[in-house]
Amino acid sequence: MNEIKKLFSLGVWKDNPVYRQILGICSALAVTNLLMNSLVMGIGLIFVTAFSSLTVSLLRKYTPKHIRMMVEVLIISTYVIIMDIFLKAYWPEMSDALGPYVGLIITNCIIMGRCEAYAQNNPPFLSFIDGATMGLGYTAVLLFIAFFRELLGFGSLFGIQVLGDGFMRWTLMVMPPGAFFMLGIVIWIARNVFPDQTEGGPVNG
Amino acid sequence: MAKKKRIFYPVVFMILVTAFFTFLLAFLNEQTYERIEEQRALEFQTSVLYSLNLPIDQMSEREIISFFKNKVKEKSISDRNYYIYSENGITKGYVFQFIGDGLWGSISGHIALDPDFTQLLGVNFTDHSETPGLGGRIDENEFKEQFRNISIEDKEQVIEYGTASGGNVDAISGATSTSTAVRNILNNQIPIIIELTQKEGFDE
Repeated sequence: MNEIKKLFSLGVWKDNPVYRQILGICSALAVTNLLMNSLVMGIGLIFVTAFSSLTVSLLRKYTPKHIRMMVEVLIISTYVIIMDIFLKAYWPEMSDALGPYVGLIITNCIIMGRCEAYAQNNPPFLSFIDGATMGLGYTAVLLFIAFFRELLGFGSLFGIQVLGDGFMRWTLMVMPPGAFFMLGIVIWIARNVFPDQTEGGPVNG
Repeated sequence: MAKKKRIFYPVVFMILVTAFFTFLLAFLNEQTYERIEEQRALEFQTSVLYSLNLPIDQMSEREIISFFKNKVKEKSISDRNYYIYSENGITKGYVFQFIGDGLWGSISGHIALDPDFTQLLGVNFTDHSETPGLGGRIDENEFKEQFRNISIEDKEQVIEYGTASGGNVDAISGATSTSTAVRNILNNQIPIIIELTQKEGFDE
């Protein structure tokens, strides 16, 4: 139980994949102009990371060390394709909205990173939790960024208009540069909240 | 002996793992193939019916599919597909696919014309990569509904922006480039389509 709590606090907060490990940035920039897209992307990543970690952990004792990365990529791509097929069959609008980014989950370094750093050396259940919480941390950051981008760029939240008609849409926020600014701000705040021990204190300026 | 095993085992392991996951995916693909195809067809059919100004909002998925099957016929001329919508043997409209240059990428969609080719029945955009929130608003009904029942007779330029100054459609404010692109595509495509309809072999 303690181990789960520790994993949870690491994945979502202290060792968050996006703002601490700086992983999964490309997709964090790409899909965060709408909250709904970010949420689905996040759920997808939780699913893929959790099950990939689980499977890698189950096979870890039988996998020869020198071919483990091949096996990991194979496992990850399987779950990504499952997710892609699922969206295409049951939620085609979302599949269109996310476009190539569903397929590109496979290149998300968070998944490979967790398989390598955790699932290779830990039992299946804990690996599953580790994958899920890392995915959750990713989702949380995506939603945080998307909240501001959608609100300022479209004046809406989850597609529901919250700012009145008089609101002047800040288009930059829904364009790719808006994502860079938002992500930069998030990482800047995070760096100040959790000073990096290896750098010996908070980074000023 | 030991060395041989080190090569043999990883190869067998990899083959087994690959076979397992490939079969899993092949099975899932087989299970969902029909549904995915249906969804694709439905999306396409909805777009065709929308451009014909049919009340797709009040139709269920099943109704759209059966409506399309019974009342819309697919034909092609000069390698271009078009769709004939008829009710009780009387032709009510023609739908043509189009593709043209938008601001960031190409814009494609459907143009519907009445049987006499004197009126634009409607327009729908199926694929584009315009700026979300600006040019991307060509997807909104508010913009698309403006293209209903526009006369295309005796005009060089069918679409003209600015309803206040004698035009027939209002552009999207803040998305001048996309609006211009859409206007140019339609103004280019409509004469091409009219020309196609006058070709021999075009089904009346």
